[in-house]
Amino acid sequence: MSTPPAILAELSSYLPVALIVVMAVIFGVVNLVGTHLLGPKRRGERKEQTYESGMAPIGTARKRFNIRFYILAMTFLVFDVEIIFLYPWAVDFTQLEPMSSDATLFFGRILFFILTSIVAYVYAWKKGVFRWD
Amino acid sequence: MMPPWLPQFLTSVVVILVVLHLCLGAAAYLILLERKVCAWVQDRCGPNRVGPMGLLQPLADGLKLFVKEEFMPKGVDRVLFILAPIITVIPAMIGFIVIPWGGYLMLGDGQTVSIMGADINIGVVYLIATGSLGVYGVGLGGWASNNKYSFLGGLRATAQMISYEIPMGLALLCVILTAGSLLPQEIVARQLEGQWFLVQQPLAAIVFFICLLAEANRAPFDLAEAEQELVGGWHTEYSSMKWALFFMGEYIHLVVGAAFFTTLFLGGWSINPITGWDLPQTGGIWLILLQFGIVLGKCFLLIFFGMVVRWTVPRFRFDQLMKLAWEGMIPLSLALLLMTSAFVYFGWTQWLWAGSLGATVVLFALQPMLPSRAKANRRIGLVGSRFSPVEDESSTGVIAKN
Repeated sequence: MSTPPAILAELSSYLPVALIVVMAVIFGVVNLVGTHLLGPKRRGERKEQTYESGMAPIGTARKRFNIRFYILAMTFLVFDVEIIFLYPWAVDFTQLEPMSSDATLFFGRILFFILTSIVAYVYAWKKGVFRWD
Repeated sequence: MMPPWLPQFLTSVVVILVVLHLCLGAAAYLILLERKVCAWVQDRCGPNRVGPMGLLQPLADGLKLFVKEEFMPKGVDRVLFILAPIITVIPAMIGFIVIPWGGYLMLGDGQTVSIMGADINIGVVYLIATGSLGVYGVGLGGWASNNKYSFLGGLRATAQMISYEIPMGLALLCVILTAGSLLPQEIVARQLEGQWFLVQQPLAAIVFFICLLAEANRAPFDLAEAEQELVGGWHTEYSSMKWALFFMGEYIHLVVGAAFFTTLFLGGWSINPITGWDLPQTGGIWLILLQFGIVLGKCFLLIFFGMVVRWTVPRFRFDQLMKLAWEGMIPLSLALLLMTSAFVYFGWTQWLWAGSLGATVVLFALQPMLPSRAKANRRIGLVGSRFSPVEDESSTGVIAKN
């Protein structure tokens, strides 16, 4: 079974994306390999310490970090997924006749959707998720 | 016989090659411009030794960085440490291809090709996605370095990026609701026949510009590399071309961000901010070059504005930065989104600018009802400093003196 031409045309518009990704990867790799080959290499006990303002580093840096970052990331996920859902809605909504019954349905549903997440947002705010002190 | 997609593909390749070289050259010369602007703001001379007026400085810097020792301290995660600069520079470099640098070029046989890298139908969503991918490099680089400063810088960059991503997406939604399309060429076409979206959606434009500065990690939002607090932040342990790739990524990000803003709010190559006569979208090669020049000019002005902002506005404290995003810009952009969709529903699209101002008034009226807000500028005691000492240091996690 052959692929329909419409899908082929659709895919061909993504060819430049593949091209630029390949170019960017080559650019990055060539730069790193070039500088690896050209630069001098001198090693030493002191030199290989990480730089922490001249103090001898204590322990590893990969410690556990504050839980706030985690809660913040969860809140971000809620909003970001919501925004992703809103993009196709926005395009379809603007094609409709203003104040028509279809538009009312579209508008009402998305209003409900946004208002639910606003309630969640205000709840998180009251809980103190956004306080950093 | 040529397949029908071939002319568009060849145009895309030409556009990609031209703009990519322009971006890389711009990244080098923007650093010089940045230093010159900095010197101008601070009443100094700036770099002026290498070549006339210091114009060869970027070449000297590039050569120097290329032959510097590539250094890796002990205890780093080798794979991620090497990958991080590449992961930063790739999203920055692939972003620009959905920017329309000109309208449609008329070919000999009546066919038209779009002057952009890739005419893909997800349009601006692609750009927002690649723009936020850049933070992976920063976060991973900070984590892999095995340095506390780098780690803190990476964490800060990540938290900052995800916070400013939301108002950016909401401001973009306002534009999409106004334009009715995700395609950059369509968004520009709406602004050619009507007003610029800067005029229709002034507040969304301001929110978007602030988010651009924050996403590009530029002052006043450069908490991730705050020199006075974190040495160099996430790139403390990086040297030679690995370090340079981080910076190239940052400056290309800046160029792409300015071009994105130009497309969304400044009407691309439109020269008339209000309704009326404007440049045609389709034409011959000279019109296309003129359009390209206008877009570049607008980008340059935006970048210059960003640089002046960088050297005149002091850096935020981290809690202030988070407060601005979560308690200021997100409510504002949510109100703008609700206002825009209501105005689209009632069909009052020519009154959006009044709606923007109305949304601000409503927010200010609602402010006493919002959850309690701590004062943004209050002092926070540094635990364990000589001004606010703690009795038992072991209880705060600070390592006791021997």
